[in-house]
Amino acid sequence: MSSNHTELSVQTFVDVHAIQEELEQVRWGLHGDGELSEAAQHAANEARASVLNLIAVVGNEAEKDTVIRVLDRLSVTNPSRTLILLAQHTKGADKLEAQVSAQDRTETGHRVTTERVILHAHGEPARHLASLVTPLLISDIPVVLWWPGEPQFDHPLFNDLCHLADRLVVDTDEGFAQPDLRRLLEVARREHASASIGDLNWARLIAWRHVAAQCFDIPGLLDDLAGIHGVSIYYGSDGSTAQASLLGGWIRSRMATVGIEVPLEFRADDSHEHGICRCVIYTTGDDGPGRFSFTRLRGGRLSVEIRLGDQELARRTVRLEARPPEELLGIELTLPGHDVLFEEALAAVLR
Amino acid sequence: MAQAPAATLTQNVLREGLILSRTPDPAVMVIFGASGDLTARKLMPALYNLALNRYLPSGFSVIGVADTPLSEDDFRAHMADAVRKFSRTQPVDRAVWQSVAEGLSYVRMPFDDLDGYGRLAAELERMDRERGTNGNRVFYFATAPQFFPVIVERLGASGIARTGAGWKRVVIEKPFGHDLKTAKELNHTIHSVFAEPQVYRIDHYLGKETVQNVLVFRFANGIFEPIWNRRYVDHIQITVAEDIGIERRGKYYESSGALRDIFQNHLLQLLSIAAMEPPPNFDADTVRDEKVKVLKSIHPVDVDNDVVRGQYGPGWVGGQQVPGYRQEQNVSPNSMTETYVAVRLKIDNWRWADTPFYLRTGKRLPSRASEIAIQFKSAPHQPFAKTAIQGMTPNVLVMRIQPHEGASLKIAAKIPGPVMRLRTVNMDFFYGSSFLVESPDAYERLVLDCMLGDPTLFAREDEVERAWGLADTIEDGWAGQPAPDFPNYPAGSWGPEAADALIERDGRRWRRP
Repeated sequence: MSSNHTELSVQTFVDVHAIQEELEQVRWGLHGDGELSEAAQHAANEARASVLNLIAVVGNEAEKDTVIRVLDRLSVTNPSRTLILLAQHTKGADKLEAQVSAQDRTETGHRVTTERVILHAHGEPARHLASLVTPLLISDIPVVLWWPGEPQFDHPLFNDLCHLADRLVVDTDEGFAQPDLRRLLEVARREHASASIGDLNWARLIAWRHVAAQCFDIPGLLDDLAGIHGVSIYYGSDGSTAQASLLGGWIRSRMATVGIEVPLEFRADDSHEHGICRCVIYTTGDDGPGRFSFTRLRGGRLSVEIRLGDQELARRTVRLEARPPEELLGIELTLPGHDVLFEEALAAVLR
Repeated sequence: MAQAPAATLTQNVLREGLILSRTPDPAVMVIFGASGDLTARKLMPALYNLALNRYLPSGFSVIGVADTPLSEDDFRAHMADAVRKFSRTQPVDRAVWQSVAEGLSYVRMPFDDLDGYGRLAAELERMDRERGTNGNRVFYFATAPQFFPVIVERLGASGIARTGAGWKRVVIEKPFGHDLKTAKELNHTIHSVFAEPQVYRIDHYLGKETVQNVLVFRFANGIFEPIWNRRYVDHIQITVAEDIGIERRGKYYESSGALRDIFQNHLLQLLSIAAMEPPPNFDADTVRDEKVKVLKSIHPVDVDNDVVRGQYGPGWVGGQQVPGYRQEQNVSPNSMTETYVAVRLKIDNWRWADTPFYLRTGKRLPSRASEIAIQFKSAPHQPFAKTAIQGMTPNVLVMRIQPHEGASLKIAAKIPGPVMRLRTVNMDFFYGSSFLVESPDAYERLVLDCMLGDPTLFAREDEVERAWGLADTIEDGWAGQPAPDFPNYPAGSWGPEAADALIERDGRRWRRP
């Protein structure tokens, strides 16, 4: 896919009305005097498809730059109005800066133009950024809050934005320990919670889940699934266990729906640096003990091996793509409503 | 680890929430015509991409059948080359391809050689034994149509189509027959071996994302159906325009023409989808029942007044000088084959009574465009001055299949200024600008559906026969007319003048797609 990327307008504002006015101008390609700017004219001639309001909260300038890169690439599949919030609760002068810009992107003959507002607040305004966000949202389309780092569950901004959002997307791979996972589950199950929860780490597990489920579609192997009596999950020894927890929680929660309790075993594996290295499902069936092994290989592949008794029933290799953040985010953005499976997986492993 | 008490499962609980509700059963796909163009360009890349996205079951295998002298290694190398050249995803993942290639084998035989079918049966048994394919078979006919009957007959005679456990399905490429008689004969031949639910007749148009999106557009949005009828719609234009000529298909096209090549299948499929009633659910037979009802409701065609045919002469397309049809390779210099057809149809039901459908298709037209255009009636009363509404046209909703997939709605808007003046503007939705993702190839969707046993997007026996019945009526009508004065439109124009007259007689005009 070839692409070009043109920044149409960049200006700095401090007043919400000025930001709104500038947003309208970059959205429709108008000059302040109502004339079309030459650079924006071609963008205005294109259809303006917006599928989301996307709010991203970042902790520092470096994170902001990373998020901008991800959102730029995401605009290819999810043209959105994006608001990037950088709140710095430092002492000193209160300050609020806003930067409005439009991005024009062409991919394989199609063009997408999106708007971006970067709000940088210091001091007191940083506590009230949510009040600035509301008037800048496009009406009637969903609001997604992406919190790329570890959320500050107790911070007022987190709660205010969660109330505003239809979906909160986090990445539990970003240092989420068990207490953080528990807090996340609480947010998901809060009474009257408006925001459903999405997790990029859960999206990374799609291939694992798909392949594991596929094994038991093989005729005759459903009985082996009924005879599941243990799961071992091996993960990289760098300390991040959230992904392994989610995979184990998923199997346990699914089997719990049919009254089968699955013991889980988690083991650190020195051979890999990060994420799940291997998962083995142990079963018992008519053909003897079953062993369903899924092993991550170098080069983005997953090896699947099914052994029943002494026999190797199947062995194959499938793709285990390392999806970039924008792709994972894109997957999360297309999921409607509460992801019950995710919440149940989380609950099952925290039990 | 502790051993849990045994339980019984009726479904795979790990499947819940995943994109596919199930994986196809392990199966062998037997491709007849495995050394041909379709296998290389479409089938093998589709299978590779399905494997890449984990949609293929483990054990899935392919037996290529053709009379071309190839060793098994040659065949694998040929297929690897095809995937490298034609896969929509690049570069090719070597490990995934290796997994696919392990399940490939090749049987060389003429399609009528009964001994060859014995070798094929042995190979199938080996696959079942070694790869756990359990007797499940897809027989894919990627050959020239004249071989369809003999392959079916031999599959039946050799017992391959019937023996053993597992399901057997047959996929047949278009053209399905040459007319109603041959289509019925072919159906009869196929049904002597395969029951109708085992038969998957491919019209790759139905596998296109944007054709399926027409169904979503109509039936998932509450605002269109209430006005999708004779009360609000003035007429509907369906266009499948091609800017290319016949390329190197002269021999095929001489016996086919636009009526058989496009009208009988693609155009009538689009008509069915545009005109059908909302199905109560998306089950294969429910959807196809509604489509067949449309074909059954088509008012008898008056060929003299409702049909125009044309053939292109030399001209200019896209700045290039191009030869006329009769100058193309493998085309008779006196050919009377039509390269353009325009048809006015009426549908005799409550929804569409007296609402004409204008269908047209042609080669060497000025641009490539497939679309369904719903032309609405004018507002019943205009409160604005005549001068204000000069040049205004009624609302049009266009669903574009290709290129620039999407939809546009033409509406009236006030021109800014102190005076009330109106003009028509387009509200455009580009499918691509909301989802700039690469869509799966139509063959991927259709092959997967076949393996899952879902025939919704395949043509049913009655659908095909109804469509041929209509094409035959037109052919018969032409046979009774004096020979047309071909060529009657220059390449690069929008077809013969008579086609303009056809629609202008009704006080309407063709759209420029």
